[in-house]
Amino acid sequence: MVLETAVEVVLNGLQQGAIFALLGIGLTIILGTMKFLNLAHGALYLIGGYAGMYVIRETTLSTGYLESIGVTTVGLGLGFAAAMVLVPIFGFVVGLLMERYVAEPFYDRPETDQLLVTFGLALIVQEVVKFLMGGSTFQPATPEQVLGISVGGPIELPIVGNYPQWRLYIVLIALVVIGLTYLVIEKTDFGLVVQAGTQDSEMVRLLGIKINRSYSLVFAMGAALAAFAGLIGVSFQTVSPQIGTEQALIPAFLVLVVGGAGSVVGAIFGGFVLGITIAAMTVLASQWAQIVLYAVAAGVLLFRPEGLFGSAEVGE
Amino acid sequence: MEDSRPTRRDVVKGSAAAGAVGLAGLAGCTQGGQNDGGGGDDGNGGGGDDDGNGGGGDDGGSTEYPSLGNFPVEGDTVTFGFNVPQSGSYSQEGEDELRGYDLAKQHLNNGGGWVDQWDDLSGDGVLGKTVESVNGDTATDPDTARQSASRMISRDDAIMITGGSSSGVAIAVQELCQEEKVQFQCCLTHSNDTTGSACVRYSFREMFNAYMTGQALAPVVRDAYGEDLNFYQLYADYTWGQTQQASMEQFFTDVAGWSQIDSVPTPLGTSDYSSYLSDVPDDADVLVLNHYGLDAANSLPQAIEAGLDERLEIIVPLYNRLMAQAASDSIEGIFGTADWNWKLDEEYTQSFVESFQEEYDQPPSYAARLAYTQTMQYAAAVERAGTFYPPEVIREMEDYEFDNAGLGGELMRGSDHQAFRDVLVVQGKAPGDRDSEFDLLNVVNQTPRDDLGYGPDEGPAAECELGEYGDE
Repeated sequence: MVLETAVEVVLNGLQQGAIFALLGIGLTIILGTMKFLNLAHGALYLIGGYAGMYVIRETTLSTGYLESIGVTTVGLGLGFAAAMVLVPIFGFVVGLLMERYVAEPFYDRPETDQLLVTFGLALIVQEVVKFLMGGSTFQPATPEQVLGISVGGPIELPIVGNYPQWRLYIVLIALVVIGLTYLVIEKTDFGLVVQAGTQDSEMVRLLGIKINRSYSLVFAMGAALAAFAGLIGVSFQTVSPQIGTEQALIPAFLVLVVGGAGSVVGAIFGGFVLGITIAAMTVLASQWAQIVLYAVAAGVLLFRPEGLFGSAEVGE
Repeated sequence: MEDSRPTRRDVVKGSAAAGAVGLAGLAGCTQGGQNDGGGGDDGNGGGGDDDGNGGGGDDGGSTEYPSLGNFPVEGDTVTFGFNVPQSGSYSQEGEDELRGYDLAKQHLNNGGGWVDQWDDLSGDGVLGKTVESVNGDTATDPDTARQSASRMISRDDAIMITGGSSSGVAIAVQELCQEEKVQFQCCLTHSNDTTGSACVRYSFREMFNAYMTGQALAPVVRDAYGEDLNFYQLYADYTWGQTQQASMEQFFTDVAGWSQIDSVPTPLGTSDYSSYLSDVPDDADVLVLNHYGLDAANSLPQAIEAGLDERLEIIVPLYNRLMAQAASDSIEGIFGTADWNWKLDEEYTQSFVESFQEEYDQPPSYAARLAYTQTMQYAAAVERAGTFYPPEVIREMEDYEFDNAGLGGELMRGSDHQAFRDVLVVQGKAPGDRDSEFDLLNVVNQTPRDDLGYGPDEGPAAECELGEYGDE
């Protein structure tokens, strides 16, 4: 029984952790490289979530402006495989635009301005979604099959018995995406520039590298990851205009605190630590789950202010 | 040389800001009490002028009665406060409630719908005054709801507040209304406490409660699934979920002869129930999901996805159409109770559905009917009383018998302000049996009111102390 619970906690924690990690990586590279605090990161999750739902299936609208002008059916009905390609691309484009028109004018402004403008943007995105599609909740866009592989329904696992099959795929897909991101950051020239930028962007400029172009790409990459997290999220949770703030923003920042700003490994680790913490607390004492999450973050801040994987501060 | 690494301060600031965002919960971001474009001004019924009769008839006897709450109503308009969740877990219910409220306002001012069928109502406003309204967002949160109601009372001079899609909200707001001596008409609240331990003189509830859900549901599920079963409950961890859990335990044990293995609280607004669901023990025959709104729209599909429906029966004690829509792939065959259904073959139901369809191109959910009927009931009571003076309106409603709200005969009991009325037991339809996306639930049984309820000193009512009228 104990073993069964432990395995379930790990499995559930991995799913939640995968989403947290995807969110955290995006946020941490944007903060690390550009020192830009992006409170609209949750809005990117929201955009990815809705985009994902509309790519995966056709949805009937019963509220909102679109419905009032007679557009009651939206969506492409292309399935999850198509969404895995289209949603990140869409997130990438949104990220490019956001970097160019929202972030760039604020790079040299105080953090408070950055927080205000991005929080404002998050609210605008949420309200626009609500205006267009209404406040309705849509059911989870859980795929029955992807590329011909049946992924719906439960599967018999050793130790834990029946388990939702799709949840295992979520972990698998997220791990692949996280792995690819890690490789890009660790093994490519672009990644080197990003990493160098998180350490000392001025020196990178002095070396003659056009870091501004990298900035756009980093921002867009972070946005694509957040959108992908949204896609994963809506594949097993209901979709509504609140998901950006309620499910994405806070966890992303907690991951940042635990993992350390600018560290991709930290974000991955932080995401899974927090995911498993939530899953374990849910079983042990559900009413404490949220509090313990913050306690973990506070503990990290106390003992390692730079986060578990943040490098010690230079030049303070 | 500028330090280009994020410092600890950046990170802490960012987290603090994110935390603040979380705390704000976006609650304050929607304008509470915006005028909904009805009257051009801020729904302010001329509270500032002293000449009393703004030419629109008299104030319903302000000469006879002293000032109390927002009485007397000055000028030729009267303001109702529609306080509904426009964000948070129950926001979808709130959206449909607003549709019901706006329709009621329109009918009260211009005729149509039940105004044409009820003798008490004229279609010329209420006591000759044009009805205006202010809307607020409760954000499915008691504190936010109280603030929003408070604004409506002090700033907009609302004579009546109505709304609530969460019992936590309804209870918080009705307490405030009792203090302020402004009447509250409960919309969607199903906790036993609303008209039980937390009941107040200034609030009335037409909706049934968790206790009646237990009474209506237990015999039906016993006949469907048999006796001697083990059940396991998850419940939303606030007043509604707690009383709902207790009532299910009571009636499934006493009436159905089942035994409870355990019941587990889940925080309101949980979006991922997988950890709770994977904890359901193997010897459970029935899983009871005491969730509502978004919570149910998440927990039910996730239970199906985990294959729980293959090894046990699932029950969602309190259904509604909006939740059923959001979980439409998962509801087939699942039992629950509902306040009302738009397909009932009943004259008041059909005339309401007709005018609602005409206005919004979709059938109403029961949240919309509750909103509509509670506004109409209040207006009719004011007309019968001939004044807006709250104690008189309240006395007019107490022990009032009516049969014109779509559910046959109903009694608004004076001792606890709980309506005694029929309750519908429903079952989710199979996708192939649905005529439209709104046709999701089958009414299995309209449990007559005589088979439900409890004496004035029994069940939830045993703990009810209504408090003062304000004219003692």
